[in-house]
Amino acid sequence: MADRRHYIGQDVLRREDEYLLRGRGRFVDDLPTPTDTVHLGFVMSPYAHARIVTIDVSRALAHEGIIAVYTGDDIAKLVQPIVAEIEFPGYHRHGRDVVARGKVRFVGEHVAVVVAENAYAAQDGIELVDVEYEPLPVASDLETATQPGAPLVHDAIPNNLIFKGQFSTKEFAAGFARGEHVIRERFRSGRVAGVPMEPRGCLALPDHVGDSIVFYSSTQIPHLVRTALARCLDVTESRIRVVVPEVGGGFGTKAQIYPEEFVVAALSFDLRRPVKWIQDRREELLTDIHARDHIYDVEIAFDDQGIVHGLKLSLWTNAGAYSTLPFGCTLEATGGARMIVGPYRISNYAYETHAVATHTCPSGAYRGVAQPTCFMAIEGLMDRIGRKLGIDPAEVRLRNMVPTKDLPWVNVVGVRYDTGSFVESLERALAVIDYAGFRARQPADRLVDGKYRGIGICSFTEVSGTGAPGWRARGLVRMPGFDSSIVKVEPTGKVTAYVSHANGGQGHLTTFAQVVADAVGADLADVTIIEGDTGATPYGTNTFASRSAVTGGGTLIRASTKVKEKMRRIAGHMLETAPADIVIEGGRAFVVGVPQVGLDFAGIAETAYSMNNFGLPEGDGYGLEATDFYDPPLVTMANAVHIVQVAVDVEDGRVEIERYLVVHDCGRIINPMIVNGQIHGGTAQGIGEALMEEMVYDSEGQLQNATLLDYLLPTAEDVPNFEIDHLESPSIDAEGGFKGVGEGGVIGAVPAVVNAIADALAGLGININRKPLRPALLVRLMREARAGRPAA
Amino acid sequence: MTDTVEVTLKVNNRKATRRVEPRLLLVDFLRHELGLKGAHIGCEQGVCGACTVLIDGRSARSCLHFAVAVQGADIATVESLGSRDALHPIQEAFHKAHGLQCGYCTPGFLATTVELLARNPDPDEAEIRRALTNNICRCTGYANIVKAVRAAAAMRAVPGRAA
Repeated sequence: MADRRHYIGQDVLRREDEYLLRGRGRFVDDLPTPTDTVHLGFVMSPYAHARIVTIDVSRALAHEGIIAVYTGDDIAKLVQPIVAEIEFPGYHRHGRDVVARGKVRFVGEHVAVVVAENAYAAQDGIELVDVEYEPLPVASDLETATQPGAPLVHDAIPNNLIFKGQFSTKEFAAGFARGEHVIRERFRSGRVAGVPMEPRGCLALPDHVGDSIVFYSSTQIPHLVRTALARCLDVTESRIRVVVPEVGGGFGTKAQIYPEEFVVAALSFDLRRPVKWIQDRREELLTDIHARDHIYDVEIAFDDQGIVHGLKLSLWTNAGAYSTLPFGCTLEATGGARMIVGPYRISNYAYETHAVATHTCPSGAYRGVAQPTCFMAIEGLMDRIGRKLGIDPAEVRLRNMVPTKDLPWVNVVGVRYDTGSFVESLERALAVIDYAGFRARQPADRLVDGKYRGIGICSFTEVSGTGAPGWRARGLVRMPGFDSSIVKVEPTGKVTAYVSHANGGQGHLTTFAQVVADAVGADLADVTIIEGDTGATPYGTNTFASRSAVTGGGTLIRASTKVKEKMRRIAGHMLETAPADIVIEGGRAFVVGVPQVGLDFAGIAETAYSMNNFGLPEGDGYGLEATDFYDPPLVTMANAVHIVQVAVDVEDGRVEIERYLVVHDCGRIINPMIVNGQIHGGTAQGIGEALMEEMVYDSEGQLQNATLLDYLLPTAEDVPNFEIDHLESPSIDAEGGFKGVGEGGVIGAVPAVVNAIADALAGLGININRKPLRPALLVRLMREARAGRPAA
Repeated sequence: MTDTVEVTLKVNNRKATRRVEPRLLLVDFLRHELGLKGAHIGCEQGVCGACTVLIDGRSARSCLHFAVAVQGADIATVESLGSRDALHPIQEAFHKAHGLQCGYCTPGFLATTVELLARNPDPDEAEIRRALTNNICRCTGYANIVKAVRAAAAMRAVPGRAA
């Protein structure tokens, strides 16, 4: 008999909230520290490219409260260079010293480490380390870094081209030629970053023996951090236990392994003292991974009906100065190139993709990776096809989409879409927002109140829950794909589940408990989730790339099911009934059809843990727990549609979002309240990315806006209320039917907002092909258009 | 920097006296001298609002004040909200509306909300959003925070004056 689901699908309020609301969340800077803790400060390079001539630490060492200063050469004795583990044709491997030696390659790169009695003294010490630099020429941007004669970031990488990949379907040119019309466009995406509200930090606490450390880090990937530390510090894993405290937002920014983590751990071993480092916001903006500095040169061929016959892409991504851990610099380059076909039936496709080294902050895996930009390109093209042919852009999309009846579908680069609702989602969205009504009103609405109005669509797929084959396809040879769990029914009958993930605001303690309660058949109140601790949980890939529901949910169901089967056998044995006739739900096991004849979990656990005289069923051993390692499919594909209505003020260029609708399909939903929260937050980040956020470097490689006064984040007045509608197409490939949801908001928002503004201004002949779309830019474009000059 | 000064503040209705460096920020005084870790540091430039507390009933950035500069002030932090057994109605409203995710910015939003509702017990949505621009949240997209503040206002969560 199928067990009824009790908790999956319900708006269960979060277990995480009470302590956070009371200010009792223990973020890394909130952890108690022993009195002999030392505090680190990192001396950062003021130059984007320079030779380090001398480092004089004497003034710093003379200062009260300074214990030691380590240069790059000192640290190199303790930490091996880090190397991104990518093996891919066209990729140039290169190492990075965690503290620079010889040369610096971006502003903010560490050149020395100050060890001080307290955090204030560490800041004093940073000012007192005298570094003499010989500045060198700078390759500051994507447009010029590969040109002949450009300064090289790494001597061994010609033309600064760290990675070049390519792909083409057979007989591409012939297929492309079947489209009577061709549109060429260059889409430019400004560089942004995740900017979590909590900067990063680490605390390493040696044990009393002096042999091992507990390493607290504000990270999304504790298991990968531990492996990297063990390798580069040359210590066994058993000497490092990585614990993730409360994490104040991750967004992929904290799904990286950073140089400071190696330094903090190494110095704790070296000094045999607790070592603490807390990043400040300037360091965060200068050195935490950046993303989305992309150029898409695209050509699309289509016929009179708007049907696409071929797509050609040359993608350029700015990798920054180094390939980062653990994803290297191929993630954006391969991601944008592989995901651009989205929900569309594009079977004739060719790309070249590039990752380019520049003297800027390294890039990494910010929420959505390249999907916000590749969908900006393809969705921008769908609009252009519509405008060129006089077909509504929504209709162009519908004509090119993979219909549900054709699912499962393997797309042109070999990614399987098992289930989905591309057409249904778009049709639902068009109906809910009364798209036809907007279009009918639109001409009349133009400039009635000094505003141009437009509507923008983004129909997209969201790659989630990537398994091992998915990482291999992108050159990440050592990235696992699995996550894992141990589910235990304890001797008292309560359930504890240990899962390889780490929580950073997603509400895992709540949602994973919902999954386990249903899968074991327990009361939700009796289920506890433990995660973010390599000392307690089995190995896994951890929490990024919309993985939690798919990989964490999947492994927890599988482990729970194993435990439940054992309970069924024990209960059958105790009740003298065949196990197949035992029902387990609500924390009890009973004989099917006779609910009064049963046992609670504690009663079953007594037998499992040998605390009575029943003995075990034949073939079963003691204990009531199961371990599971779950590697999901290549990817699990969610889908959604964002539609946004905007008003662009002709005078000041400000964009007001008048209506925002999301129709979303992430398969089986565990907790709708939390899913909606993920969509809200991601969409707000996408609105910021489309309208205001950009890391601006000058030609000398200086970041011009390394403060939150200058790098603008959206506030409560910049973000609208959202209308959200859900379709559920449960995955048939992934355990539990779950698909990921973490990144969908930002993926859909960037193209939808950009397209809405493009739509509003299309009547002026303005071509919107970039972001961010700040007021000053829009005012200039509108002024130029009115003056009859060609728009950029 | 060995010179220290004696600072006395009233924090959450209790007098606290410490000898500290004159350059010690109020937020570090609260966090590291008194162990009140609820106010968080997000930017140290007064932009993000994660360190917001109430100084004499007004919301203020505890990262922009030296402890010595607010000598004698009446400070209220997030730890003053609610009782041992029950959340404050504003906290409860945030819980029920899913008005927090990572929770790092949340104590600052609570301080802003206490001040807003003390000044304006029945704010409309525009007034709520205007007040909330005091703080940055990177997780929630604000929608559920706005919802929480509306719910708290409907419950008349703050009678009369700021905590």
